Amino acid sequence: MNHLRQQFPVWGTIVDVDCYSQFVSDADLNEAMKQITDFCEAVDRDFSTYKEDSWVTRLRLGKVAIENCPDDVIEVWDLCAQAKWLSDGAFDPWAVAGGFDPSGLVKGWAADKCADLLVAAGVPHVQVNAAGDLALRGGWFDSASEEIKPWSIGVVNPTNTLEVVKVYEITDGAIATSGTYERGAHIHDPQTGMIAIGAASATVVGPLGWLCDAMATAVMVGGDDSAKWFGQPELQGYQVFGVNRHEESAWEI
Amino acid sequence: MKRALLIAGGTVGGLGAVLAITPPQLSTTSSINIAGGSVIGTTGTSSSASASSSSTSSAPTKSAKPVATKKATAGATTQPAASQSATAAASPAATQTTAPVTSTVKDGTFTGPSVNVNYGNVQVMITVSNGKITDAVAVQAPRGKNDRYTNMAVPILKQQTLQAQSANIQGASGASYTSYGWFKSLQGAMAQAGL
Repeated sequence: MNHLRQQFPVWGTIVDVDCYSQFVSDADLNEAMKQITDFCEAVDRDFSTYKEDSWVTRLRLGKVAIENCPDDVIEVWDLCAQAKWLSDGAFDPWAVAGGFDPSGLVKGWAADKCADLLVAAGVPHVQVNAAGDLALRGGWFDSASEEIKPWSIGVVNPTNTLEVVKVYEITDGAIATSGTYERGAHIHDPQTGMIAIGAASATVVGPLGWLCDAMATAVMVGGDDSAKWFGQPELQGYQVFGVNRHEESAWEI
Repeated sequence: MKRALLIAGGTVGGLGAVLAITPPQLSTTSSINIAGGSVIGTTGTSSSASASSSSTSSAPTKSAKPVATKKATAGATTQPAASQSATAAASPAATQTTAPVTSTVKDGTFTGPSVNVNYGNVQVMITVSNGKITDAVAVQAPRGKNDRYTNMAVPILKQQTLQAQSANIQGASGASYTSYGWFKSLQGAMAQAGL
């Protein structure tokens, strides 16, 4: 079983790729990695709110209409609309100061795309960790027992990042965590414009990376009121794990 | 807050205890409890859930599904990306499981090079004991107006370094990797240790 673990810098952070394949050669693995880094750099060029000529920046400035954007940008725009609807507006990339900002969804979406690129290249066991938003495929190969096992992914305590407070075992799917501790207080309540205080951190586990990412952001705003969203049929198969801000407690849906 | 969440004990050894938790399997969506919103203490959850540790949903077949590839013959003999080991510096567990610790690994403390990141310099020192990294600290980290940023980033990266060694966990959610410099310096320190 060939194993490759590699990190590369993009989006002002690090993407960590961990994969196993029985048949794909080193050369092909490296070629697949190259595709992933190219894709992530393209995502940065298209979606960065810091780059003056990115499509998202042009959208924010009203210099381009969404219909005239590339397919990826239109896809993310549509997914943002779905996530806004599913979260009763708690996730609202259009309510951000400065205009449309899909940052709360793009990392999870891109992690899925990267994982699927590797699967398409013949690599069945994949972990893509886009700065805490993970896409998992096919479990991992434990060489000690020669078994394929589900990926064990730890959720970090937001008040002490050296601690793991919960572990999810995921063979195929995604997990995303939003929290103020990641990059300072970066989650804003679209209704009030205030910094979100619903939870100290919110983790969502489910099949699709973009939806996990967006709903984790939404739960940061909604706190345990978000329970009602997860009763919707569209969110069947999604779990939430939240750590409360002011109480010594965590909660799950 | 800390008291309730202190289930891992804050130590790598403590991680082992909490890693015994077997949460609901994602692949079995039927078992997912959608109603709820009830407040559950983490401490209780961890101790009560630790009984069942083996998973049942993933098929424990000996090898991967035979995916048709262009170079089915080449893959079997090639080393798992020996050339990548430099970039895979943050994942010593992976390297150690495929190739057990050799006698070239030295115990002690090793300091990596000072790496410039766009807001300062990062330099990492690791402590190696019995061929494993037992600690990783930033002996040099950006100061000044970026203190708040650095104070968050350093423990997260330290955690990534230590967690990567745990055979029981493959990744972490909630931690943003914030410094490529950390990994570059870590690489240098690990090379010195022979890891």
